[in-house]
Amino acid sequence: MDFEPVIAALQAAFPDVDLAPRAAPLDDTFVTIPAEGLRRAVTLLLEDWQLRHLSTITGLDTGEYVELLYHFWHTHGLTLRVTLPYAALRIASITDLIPGAAFYEREIVEMFAVTVDGLPDPRPFLLPDDWDGGAPLRKGV
Amino acid sequence: MRELLAALFNLLIFPGLGFLFVCAMAFEWGDRRLIARFQGRVGPPWYQPFADLIKLLAKEDILPNDAEETTAAVLPMLSLAAVLTAALYVPVAGYAPLSFEGDLIVVLFLLSLPTLAHFLAGWVTVGVYSILGGNRSLLQFFSYEVPFLMALSTPAIFNGSWTIAEITARQTVWNIFILPLAFLVALVGLIGKLKRDPLDIPKAKSEMVAGPLTEFSGRKLALWRLSMDMQTVVGVFLLVNLFSGGASMLAPLAFVFKALAILALLSTASVLYARLRIDQLAHLGWRVLAPLALLQLLVTVWMGG
Amino acid sequence: MTKVTIPIGPQHPLLKEPLSFLLTVEGEQVLESTLRLGYVHRGIERLCQERTYVQAVHLIERVCGICSHIHTTTYCQGVEALSGLQVPPRGLYLRTFLCELERIHSHLLWLGVLAKNMGFDTVFMYAWRDREIVLDVMEELSGGRISHAVNVIGGVRIDLDAAHTRSIQQRFDELERQVEKALALINNEPSLKARTQGVGLLSAEQVARYCVVGPVARASGVDVDLRRDFPRPPYDQLKFNVITHPAGDVWARTLVRVQEIRESLSLCRQILAQLPDGPTSVAMKRRVPPGEVVSRSEAPRGEVIYYIRSDGSDKPARLKIRTPTLTALITLADQLRGVNVADVPVVLSGVDLCIACADR
Repeated sequence: MDFEPVIAALQAAFPDVDLAPRAAPLDDTFVTIPAEGLRRAVTLLLEDWQLRHLSTITGLDTGEYVELLYHFWHTHGLTLRVTLPYAALRIASITDLIPGAAFYEREIVEMFAVTVDGLPDPRPFLLPDDWDGGAPLRKGV
Repeated sequence: MRELLAALFNLLIFPGLGFLFVCAMAFEWGDRRLIARFQGRVGPPWYQPFADLIKLLAKEDILPNDAEETTAAVLPMLSLAAVLTAALYVPVAGYAPLSFEGDLIVVLFLLSLPTLAHFLAGWVTVGVYSILGGNRSLLQFFSYEVPFLMALSTPAIFNGSWTIAEITARQTVWNIFILPLAFLVALVGLIGKLKRDPLDIPKAKSEMVAGPLTEFSGRKLALWRLSMDMQTVVGVFLLVNLFSGGASMLAPLAFVFKALAILALLSTASVLYARLRIDQLAHLGWRVLAPLALLQLLVTVWMGG
Repeated sequence: MTKVTIPIGPQHPLLKEPLSFLLTVEGEQVLESTLRLGYVHRGIERLCQERTYVQAVHLIERVCGICSHIHTTTYCQGVEALSGLQVPPRGLYLRTFLCELERIHSHLLWLGVLAKNMGFDTVFMYAWRDREIVLDVMEELSGGRISHAVNVIGGVRIDLDAAHTRSIQQRFDELERQVEKALALINNEPSLKARTQGVGLLSAEQVARYCVVGPVARASGVDVDLRRDFPRPPYDQLKFNVITHPAGDVWARTLVRVQEIRESLSLCRQILAQLPDGPTSVAMKRRVPPGEVVSRSEAPRGEVIYYIRSDGSDKPARLKIRTPTLTALITLADQLRGVNVADVPVVLSGVDLCIACADR
């Protein structure tokens, strides 16, 4: 399946935002969507394009803001990029849409101190129960 | 005086404690060696079972705080005592100095005591795996014991006596050829009784850690293992006598060969199958073994009567 | 009947690596289970950010013991793509050769562990004895049975000559015979089938919802395999079948994995036959141009994905690893609901746990 129509559909769903699609090596395309539009984008991918396989959710701290990358795969890779300013580290959960996202979201919560709204099980995932060293993958921690 | 010495000799040397101990070590070695060879390994040297026992005796003997210490100490001794007593009445190569009328029933009763002790051991050494393993031990007991008893009663009915030495002596043709179903059921029942693969469900290492004996260590565990090894010996001897008896010039040699043959059957069964689930065992016991044993029993009654 | 809580782990004879399950059991039936990971979390992602790209290779090798080579392969694949490096064909073939060998050794290891946890020691002994053949080949190639350290950014550091190739082919004949026997066993042995059929059921729908990958997905009838769907050279020139099975239980997973061993053996033979001449690696520049890449490949347990972002320096700005075991772990809550306690080892073994991979 070629991804151009998918990206066009995404752009149509966010008419005021420039998705800035960028090709990455090894057959992936990166698309930037606004944080509030995450669930709308994922629903679109699931229902209209049957893009159900979420490989993982990457978080990273660039030093100025936190980025969340949702990596999808179906014969090619498609990654949704969401930027979260430090002051507003909140994102909606997609676990009800894709149950397989649960572990990845829990990891984002504990590694980046991001609040995921609607996450059914926010217990520590990899870190010890008595960890008090801050979010390990944030810069300056 | 002579009688006292003779009795002491029988109790402590032959066919009592000393002889049984040597046989238990030898049987465990033979079993482990044969299984190893089947699995493409070499197997332990001849003194391994003995070395394991010595090592265990030297280890620390601890129990959980909640466990009942006295009962936990008594149970392995009870198990060992029951097995040793049962062994006294099982003829070795035709030699049965202490045999008496109806001793088969006593032996079968005594041989069921270790299983009950095993189950109780799980209960008194409080622990999740111990209690669950103990429950399974009891469940397993209910699955194989009835067919086992029926199968072992069949030679008694066929040969017209409840004394083991008499059953052995009266066989002109080995019972294994006349009562094959009984032998089969008795063999499977013995595997269940000894909790060997594939019926080692109560002490399944991957599920129950070590079952009822999880919390035992040191001297108590050594006694448990010794009692299990001796149970193997007594069980094998019992099967040899009930199903392949008969007098013969080469009695001792023949006895050894027959015992080793049955041990080889037990070892082979260990190697061939995956462990059964407890519900699969219950199914096997009540839907397969019990009807077979019953069938054999009815045929025997019809033949003999 | 009262509810009992059985702890499985962190230390348990069933588990090769620490993991904590708490099973709520009533009688012999499991009602609920909770999972706790993190006992071997070493923070490799964070550590890699403080090392150069080359140093990171050695660290990534140690994410997992069983599938160490595929991790470095995926990582090197990503960094090479970022740097615009073209690995010479011989290097790619040798790299893939070791990937397939690793798949064979991992599946044989798994077969042994499943058999042991089922109480079938004989199959455990046989599977691990046959695995020695593969481990010997890997040791001759790389110097290590489990940790090979074969990948460098730009290619591989090992090579094969004709005599060595012939000796390997002979040993593959022996291994092939043993694998056929194993397949016959799985298809016919009644006690094995009784313990594994109908246990640990996962439907294709559950597989899709939980984003499961690898043999667990293929055993539920889902036809995914990155070697075919994302054919990096030399997979585009090799012929192999993707094995699927519709049943979705542990027996299906066993069949899929053992048949995959057969396919991997065929792939190894093709690689040895078609090995091109030339160098095995190219030199790498110390600094990687800025950019980001998502690198995927098919590990023995499924899709392993690496995300690498570089900022132009000699250290990765972000390295994210997601291993396939995580996708299987999330299904265990469903798989364990309502099963017999005796089936718990079979279910846990069926998903081929590699906790070091999952925890990183």
